[in-house]
Amino acid sequence: MSTNKLNSPAELVALKERLEKNRNANKTVVTVCAGTGCMACGCDAVLKTFREECANDRLENEVEIKATGCHGFCERGPLVVVHPLGVFYQRVKPADAKLIWEQTVKGGHLVNKLLYRDPQSNQIVKNEKDIPFYKKQMRIIFGKNGFMDPTAINDYILLGGYQALAMALTKMTPEQIIDEVKKSGLRGRGGGGFPTGKKWATCRAVKVEPKYTICNADEGDPGAFMDRSLLEGNPHQVIEGMLIGAYAIGSHEGFVYVRNEYPLAVKNLTIAIKAARDCGFLGENILGTGFSFDIEISRGGGAFVCGESTALMASLEGKVGEPRAKYIHTVESGLWDKPSNLNNVETWANVPPIIERGAEWFASIGTDNSKGTKVFALTGKVNNTGLVEVPMGITLREILYDIGGGVPRGKKFKAVQTGGPSGGTLIVETAEPKIHASMVAYGDLRDEDEAISLLDLPVDFDELTRAGSMMGSGGMIVMDEDSCMVDIARYFIHFLTEESCGKCVPCREGLVVMLNILQKISEGKGTIEDIEYLEELSQVIIDTSLCQLGGSAPNPVRSTIRYFRQEFLAHVIDKRCPAGVCKDLVSHAIDNTCNGCHACLKSCPTNAIVGEPKRLHYIIQDKCIQCGACYQICRYNSIKRIKHGEGDKLQERARELWQPPLKKVTAEVA
Amino acid sequence: MSFEPRIVGFLCNWCSYTGADLAGTARMKYAPNVMTVRVMCTGRVDPGFVLDSFRAGADGVLVCGCHFGDCHYVEGNHKCMRRIAITKRILKGMGIQPERLRLEWVSASEGARFQEVVNSFTEEIRGLGPIRLKEWAFVPEQVEAAAAAHGE
Amino acid sequence: MDKAKITIDGQQIEVDDGSYVLEAAKSLGIEIPTLCYYPYMVPYAACRICCVEAHGAGGWSKIVTACNYPVWDGLEIFTDTPRVINARRTNLEMLMANCAPVPVLQRLAEQLGITEPRWKTGSNYTCILCGLCVRICDEVVGAHALAFINRGAKRDVSTPFQLDSESCILCGACAKHCPTGYIKMEEIENRYIVHQEMNLSPNAAITLPFRQAVPNVPQIVRENCIHFKTGGCMVCAKVCPKDCIEYGDRPNFEEVEVGAVVIATGFDSFDPTPMKQYGYGKYPNVISSEEFEVMNNAAGPTGGKIVMENGAEPRAIAILHCIGSRDHDYHKYCSRVCCMYSLKFSHLVKEKTSAEVYQLYIDMRSFGKGYEEFYSRILDEGVNVIRGKAAEVVPSGYRQHEEGHLIVRCEDTLIGKYREIPVDMVILSTALEARRDAKEFGRKFNISTGADGWFIEAHPKLAPVSTTTEGIFLAGACQGAKDIPDAVAQGGAAAAQAMKLMAQGEVMMDAAYAVIDEAFCSGCKMCNDMCPYTAISFDDAKKVSVVNSALCKGCGTCVAACPAGAIMARHFTDEQIYAQIEGILA
Repeated sequence: MSTNKLNSPAELVALKERLEKNRNANKTVVTVCAGTGCMACGCDAVLKTFREECANDRLENEVEIKATGCHGFCERGPLVVVHPLGVFYQRVKPADAKLIWEQTVKGGHLVNKLLYRDPQSNQIVKNEKDIPFYKKQMRIIFGKNGFMDPTAINDYILLGGYQALAMALTKMTPEQIIDEVKKSGLRGRGGGGFPTGKKWATCRAVKVEPKYTICNADEGDPGAFMDRSLLEGNPHQVIEGMLIGAYAIGSHEGFVYVRNEYPLAVKNLTIAIKAARDCGFLGENILGTGFSFDIEISRGGGAFVCGESTALMASLEGKVGEPRAKYIHTVESGLWDKPSNLNNVETWANVPPIIERGAEWFASIGTDNSKGTKVFALTGKVNNTGLVEVPMGITLREILYDIGGGVPRGKKFKAVQTGGPSGGTLIVETAEPKIHASMVAYGDLRDEDEAISLLDLPVDFDELTRAGSMMGSGGMIVMDEDSCMVDIARYFIHFLTEESCGKCVPCREGLVVMLNILQKISEGKGTIEDIEYLEELSQVIIDTSLCQLGGSAPNPVRSTIRYFRQEFLAHVIDKRCPAGVCKDLVSHAIDNTCNGCHACLKSCPTNAIVGEPKRLHYIIQDKCIQCGACYQICRYNSIKRIKHGEGDKLQERARELWQPPLKKVTAEVA
Repeated sequence: MSFEPRIVGFLCNWCSYTGADLAGTARMKYAPNVMTVRVMCTGRVDPGFVLDSFRAGADGVLVCGCHFGDCHYVEGNHKCMRRIAITKRILKGMGIQPERLRLEWVSASEGARFQEVVNSFTEEIRGLGPIRLKEWAFVPEQVEAAAAAHGE
Repeated sequence: MDKAKITIDGQQIEVDDGSYVLEAAKSLGIEIPTLCYYPYMVPYAACRICCVEAHGAGGWSKIVTACNYPVWDGLEIFTDTPRVINARRTNLEMLMANCAPVPVLQRLAEQLGITEPRWKTGSNYTCILCGLCVRICDEVVGAHALAFINRGAKRDVSTPFQLDSESCILCGACAKHCPTGYIKMEEIENRYIVHQEMNLSPNAAITLPFRQAVPNVPQIVRENCIHFKTGGCMVCAKVCPKDCIEYGDRPNFEEVEVGAVVIATGFDSFDPTPMKQYGYGKYPNVISSEEFEVMNNAAGPTGGKIVMENGAEPRAIAILHCIGSRDHDYHKYCSRVCCMYSLKFSHLVKEKTSAEVYQLYIDMRSFGKGYEEFYSRILDEGVNVIRGKAAEVVPSGYRQHEEGHLIVRCEDTLIGKYREIPVDMVILSTALEARRDAKEFGRKFNISTGADGWFIEAHPKLAPVSTTTEGIFLAGACQGAKDIPDAVAQGGAAAAQAMKLMAQGEVMMDAAYAVIDEAFCSGCKMCNDMCPYTAISFDDAKKVSVVNSALCKGCGTCVAACPAGAIMARHFTDEQIYAQIEGILA
C-alpha cells in the first residue's frame, strides 16, 4: 500500500498509470467473496485453502488471491471468480477450492459441478454476467465490489477511484457540483427520497459554521444489508462521495454513524479512512487544493430509531437517540445545532459515478422522478436471495422472477414487503379468493378489494408510495402462500413496538394498542370493530407521530388491511387462518393421501402423530401444538392446515384405524 | 479576740462593684473585713494605691475586675493584670508577702463568687497574720534578711 | 425581532418570528390542552395532545404540535377541527389504554368527552412518560440525574442504572412537576410532618427568614437553591413579573445611627434531645411544645389538625411539664410560662379531638390574673392532672396490638403510686432558655449575662429595663423567662426609656473623665497608646498629650500609667482615692 501522500491531482493520475503499468492483465487472480453472507458460509476456509495451495506450489508471484467485497448473490455463497477467465464458481467448499486450484487455476479447465446451473433451462453458465441473477441488474454502485480488495486503496484507484474527487476539486465549483447532482435527479436512498441536490443547496445556503457531513450507516431494517455490504466491500466509494458532498456544501468535518453490529464494516472503513488520510484524500489540504475534510467513525448501539436523522444526531452528540421535531430542518440546525447534511451510505456512493460520468448519464437511468439504480436486499421465500442492484422502474415481476428466480418448492407468490418494517406489504398473487363473503354481505366492497396484482408495478419512489408502501432503505421480503398477513402485520408491529424510542404517545402507546388488537385477531378473538379500530389508530398515529418512524409505523397494518382485508375478515368472522399460521385458529390433520412414510412422525416434538410405516398416519389433536414441523417435512402434501377444531373431521378414516391403539395409549397415560 | 484583718478592696464599677452589690441585695453573708474603694476600671488601679494601702495599715489588698473580654473599657483589666504582677514583685522587695495582694475577676452577675472570694481572701490574710510594717525601722540588713527568709 | 402574522381559529395575531403556536394561542385566550409542556423548557412535543391543524398557502394542511411549531407569516391554525379533536382524543385514549387512571388523564378525558378508553392493555403504570422530570433535571436544574431508560413500550424514567444517583441534588423538582405522582421524594416525605414546617419546607430555596418576619419578603436560601448548586434553574427570575430576583444579592451590613437600643432578642426553646428518657427524636410522636404549636396553626402543615405522624388522630396525649426547667441537670429556674401553655394545649386538644389528656406536673403554677380560673376550667373539661414528673417515655412494645404507641412512666405523688399511662402522643413542655449567642451578643453592647445566660438589668427593682450601659435597654424574654403580658409590658417600658433619651435631644456626659495637666506632662506619649478609645492625642505644638473629653469614658487607665502623674481622672483623682484608703483604714 502506498503511504506516499498525493499532493496534486496529477500525482493521482500518475499513480494510477503506474499501477496500471505494473499490472499484468494476464495474471491469474482468484477472487473470493468475503462479504458477510459468504463469510457465514465459510469463505474464510476457502480463502485459506487457496492461499495454502498457492504457497505449496510457489506460485505467489503468478497468482493473486484476493478477498473481495460482496458480489450480491448470497444465496449461492461462498463465491469464487477466477480471472482473467471470468469463471464463476458457487457454493465452494474448502475441498472444492483444492479442485478449482488444480483444475482451473493450474489446468485451465472448468469444474462443472461448481458452476451455476440455471434452474429453468438447466443450462450451465460460466461467466458471472451471464447468470440470470446478474443479467437484469445494473451494478453502478456494487460493480467495483467484485474486483477489489476493500482494504487496498490501490485497487480502488486502479478501478478509477478518487478521479471524481480530483475532478470536483479542481475543475468544478461547489455550485456546479450541486447543480450536477440536482440535474442527475438523485434522491436520498435512505427511505425518504428527498432530492439530494436540493438538500445540499439548502445546507450550503445556511451561513453558519461549522457544517457537518454525516453518513447514515445505521441500517436497522430486518433483512436489509446493502449499506453493510457497501461499507464492507467498497468503503472508498462512500468516502469519496462524502468528500465531494462536503466540498459542495462547505463542510470540513464528517461522521460515519455505523452500527456496532457491523464489525467488518467498521474494520474496513477504519482501514479505508486511514489509507485515504495517508494518501492525502482526507485531512488538511486535500490533493493540494486547499480543501480540508476529515471523517470520524461513530459507532451506534443498535437502536432502530437511530437511523432517523435527528435521533442519529442526538446519538452522535452522546445523548439518548431520540428524534426531535423537524419543523426546523437539520440542514439548518442539526448536529450540535449546526447545519448538518446527512445522507445514506448508498446516496453517498452514488455521488462519484454522477460526477465522473455526468448528470445526463445518470438521469438517463430510471423513471421520470426516480433516477439511477437502487439496491434491494431480496430475502424471504425466493430462490435467489441476495443483494440486487436494479435500475429504477424495473417491475416487481422482473425482480421476483427473473432475478429472484421464483418461489422455492413451487409455492405461489403472495406478497412482497418493501421498505423495512414500516413499509407496506403489497399483494402480488394470492392463493385465496380475493373477496370475502362477508364483504358482499356488508356491502363493504372497495376498489382495493378487486385485488389487482401488483406484479407489474414499476419500482420507484412514487409508485411504491402510491401503492401504500415505500422505498425505504430497500429491504424486499418475499412471502409465499404460507404467510399469514395478520401474523406478518403483528410481527412488524411487534418489532416497531420494541424499537420505538418511546418518546411520543402515538408511537409508544398506539403501537402497543395495535399489537394487542392484532394479537386478539390472531387468537380468533377479534371483531369487525377491531379492524376499524386498526384503521382509525393507523390514521391518528400517522397524523400525530413525532418522527417518520412513528409516521410510517402503521404502514404494515394499513397495507395488509388494504390488500388482504379478506384474510383479516377470515380471522375475525370465520375464525380461520387461511395460511394456517395463527396457532389458535389452525389444526393440523393428515388426509388420505398419506403413504405412511413416517417422516412426520419423527419430526413431531410432542409425539402427537401415530402410525405404522406404509399405513395412514393420524395426528392426535389434543397433543398437537400446531408447530408445523410435520407440514414442513411432508413431501406429499398430505398434511393439511385446516380450521381449528376440525382436525378429526378430515382424519375420520385414520381415527378409526388408530382407535384401539389410541385407547391403549390413553389407558397407559392414565 | 481573734485577729480581724483589714483589707482594702478596689472594685471596678461595672462588674465587681455590681457583683458586690448583687451579693448584698441577695443578702449573701460575707466577711466584713473588705472595705471597698470604687474605681471606674481596674485599669485605674495605680500600684501606688496598693502600696499606700499597705502603708496606711491594710493587711491585704483585693483588686476585682471584669473577666477578660468583659471589660467595659475593652482592655483595662489586661493592663491591671500586668500592673498587679509588677506590684507583687515590688511588695516582695519590700518584705510584704505578695499573697497579701490578690487580683480576682468577678462579673456583675457573680454575687456568689464575690462572697466566696472575699471569704477566702479574708481567711488567707487571717492565716498570714497582721502586717507589721509600722513597727519596722528601715534597716537594710533586716530587709535583706527578710528577703532571704522568703527564699530569694 | 421580525414579526409574523398568523391566524388562529379565524383570529389574527402578530407574534414574534420563531415563537411557537401555543404561546400565540394562549395570548388569544384559546386553550390548547397539554401534558408535557412546561413554559421554561425547550418544548418536547411527546404527548401530542396539543396538536392543531396547520394550513399553508398552497392549500396543504397537516397536524402539528402547537407547543413546538414555529410560527411563520401567513400561517393559519385551526384548533378545533374534527380531525384535531379526533387526534387528541385518540392519543389520550392510547395513553389511557396503557396507564392507570391517574387524575390528570381523567380530567383531560372529561374535557375531551371520553368516558372510558376503548382499549385497555391491562397496564397499571402511573407514569405517562411526559418527560417533565427528566427535562427539568436536565434543562432547568442542570443536575442530569434522571434519564429515560429502555425503549418503546418498556420506556421508564430512572436514574442511570437504577442506582442512587450521585448527581442528584435532592432538589425535588422532578417530584414537584410529576403530574401523576409517579416520582416521590421518599426520604423527605417521610420526615415528620411538623419538622417539615419548622423549616417551612425541607429544602425550600425561597422562603421567609421566619414566620412574621419584618419586612415580610422572601429570600433565597443559597444552600438550598438549585441555581447556586448547578448554575441552572433561574425559574424564579423568569416567573417574577417585576424582575425582583437578584442572584448576586448578598446579606450586607448597614450602619444606622441611633440614640438608644432596645434589646429584645427573645429566647431559645430548650432542645429536649439530650433527655434520652423522653425519647425525643427517637419516637416520632414525641414532640416539643413548639412543634405542637406549629401543628395547631391553621396555616400550618396539618391545617391546624392534631394528628400523629401517620396522619391519624391521637386517642390519648400526655403533656410533660418542666422539661429542662426546674431541673438540676439543665436549668434550675422555672420557665414561668409552661404551666399555662400546657393547660392551653389540653384545652385545644379537648376542643379539636376526643383524645384523653394527661398533664404531668411538679407544681401547677397558675399565678397570673385569671390563670387559676383557667386551670379550674381545664379540670372541669376532664383533663387528667397528675402530680409527678414523668420518669420516662417508652414504646408499648409488649402489647403487640398497640405497637407504636407510647407509655409514660411516672409516680403519682398524690396517691403515692407508680403509674404507666398509655398514650399516642407526648408533648414536652420545654424550658425557655437564653439565646445561645446571648453572651457574645451582650459583649457587643457591654452588657453582661447572668449564670443562666439572660441579660442582666441595671437593677432588678429600680432599673428593670436599663442595663449598665447607658442607652441600652432590655425588653422581653432576653432578660428572663416571661410570658407575653410581661414581655409586652417590659417592651413598653424599654421603649419609653429610649424615648426619654431621644426626647431630650442631648445627652448629659458623665463628668468623670481624664484631664492632662500640661505643666506636668513630659510628652512621653505613654498614655497615647494606652487609651482604648483613642481619646488621647499628642499636641505637637505644645509637646504635650491632650485628652478629648467627649471621647474619654473615664476609665482611668491612662491616669494609672502616667509616669509623671500629670493626668487626673475626675471624680477619681489620686487624692480622692488616697483619702478613701486613708479613711477606711483609719
